[in-house]
Amino acid sequence: MKEIWTSIRRTPYQSLSAFLILFFTLFLSSMLFVSLTFLYGTLGYLETKPQVTVYFQNKALENQIFKVRDELMSSGKVSNIKYISKNEAFNIYKQLNKDNPLLLEMVSAEILPPSLEIYAKKPIYLPEIAEYLKKQGDIDEVQYEKDIVDKLLILTNTIRKTALIFFSYLILMSIVVLTTTILFKIALKESEITLLKLIGATNFYIRKPYIMESLFLGTTASILSFSIFSLITLYLRPFLASYLKGVTSLSVNIFNYPLTVWPLNPLFFGIVFVSSLIFGAVIATVASYIATNKYLKV
Amino acid sequence: MITFNKVTKKFPLGNTALNDVSFEIDDNELIFLVGPSGAGKTTILKMITQELKPTTGSIIIDDFDITDKNFSQKINLRRKIGIIFQDFKVLIDKNVFENVAVSLKVVGADYSLIKSEVKRVLELVGLTKKEKVFPLQLSAGELQRVAIARAVIGDRNIIMADEPTGNLDPKTSWDIMKIFKKLEGKRTIIIATHNTDIVNSFQKRVLVLKEGKIIKDLRKGGYEL
Repeated sequence: MKEIWTSIRRTPYQSLSAFLILFFTLFLSSMLFVSLTFLYGTLGYLETKPQVTVYFQNKALENQIFKVRDELMSSGKVSNIKYISKNEAFNIYKQLNKDNPLLLEMVSAEILPPSLEIYAKKPIYLPEIAEYLKKQGDIDEVQYEKDIVDKLLILTNTIRKTALIFFSYLILMSIVVLTTTILFKIALKESEITLLKLIGATNFYIRKPYIMESLFLGTTASILSFSIFSLITLYLRPFLASYLKGVTSLSVNIFNYPLTVWPLNPLFFGIVFVSSLIFGAVIATVASYIATNKYLKV
Repeated sequence: MITFNKVTKKFPLGNTALNDVSFEIDDNELIFLVGPSGAGKTTILKMITQELKPTTGSIIIDDFDITDKNFSQKINLRRKIGIIFQDFKVLIDKNVFENVAVSLKVVGADYSLIKSEVKRVLELVGLTKKEKVFPLQLSAGELQRVAIARAVIGDRNIIMADEPTGNLDPKTSWDIMKIFKKLEGKRTIIIATHNTDIVNSFQKRVLVLKEGKIIKDLRKGGYEL
């Protein structure tokens, strides 16, 4: 630790530039990572919603509705169908408007339509299912959210690709700048390195102080970027809560493990922090390795 | 024992630093390499440390052919060699103790051994009271003593000095050579130098080089440039 601090004090500007570039990369990477997890979480959330909802007219009989349900189920294109009766619809309505007694007084189970919530096996079956439903009798309305899911899917894919390019650029930029910065530092110690090689030092012995210093800068940059990221996220929490009103939870699958991203929770913050630490450490180690390589050929 | 067997070193631009050179140096022998600049003295030293590889021929140190393609003990070989340079090559941000200790630190010695060994070699070179002093506060002679201490510490049984008195005044040069005298017979010592007075006074084996060739192998000292 003493040697790291001495080295930083002896070359403060090189150390500061290395620190700033690491901080910038890690902060932007954290923001990108969180934005993507939220987008994927939203996409996953929308996919769990019924993809086609068909509302029947009040006069429609249950038998008639069940017949439509059974025909759809036997088509092989539907994974699940949920029947919402008038009473169930009223219960849902009551739950959604529990804070508004006026709305509750105005509505009864009788005026709410029965409906079927349909989940297709594949999105390509959705237009077909919707067309089939429209041709049935006593149908009031067919709602089908394919467009929203498709648009979100396209948006998420575009953002993922853009993020990947941006992310790669960030990594490349930080490694190049960090390598150059370390090279400046090493250039001042070229004769020392040559001497160490001649008296039998291993490459690791020579690299160790540079790697340790870079790791120290990487860790410090990770902690600072995570702290700032956390403060911003906590500040934005009320805005997020109002934007995501009605969404009880958002989660993404990371290595088959469902990670809850909303509501914000310590595990999610922990994963962001650990990822940032690992990422910072990898960049720092790779840059130190490349930089020292040049002077180890004695 | 160090054996050079028909060693030739040609550089890519065509100049020949060594031309078919053969000689043997016994264990614990003190030998001087003399000759004008460009004669090949430093090239011989650099080949022993494997900084340079011969174009043809072989070099054998302690039964190991270090020129063999399969030789993979470069680090261990260098750990047996102590080197002293004309320009001292001391680490300016480290004090005398740390400068000398570095030779043992690179081999992974523990601190108690480092402490006792540094004390012993600083006594040998006459720098006992200066172990906490930094290089900028030392004279040229003292800097060379630090370099010698660093070269002789531990198990380094081959000591090579490349113009060790090149930057020193005559009196300091003699003081430095007295340290080599103390080591004589205990280590293999190879000194490349221009200093005729010193070579003549030692009365030891001298290899005279000229244009990459050994022109004389004088078993008992004395030469003139």
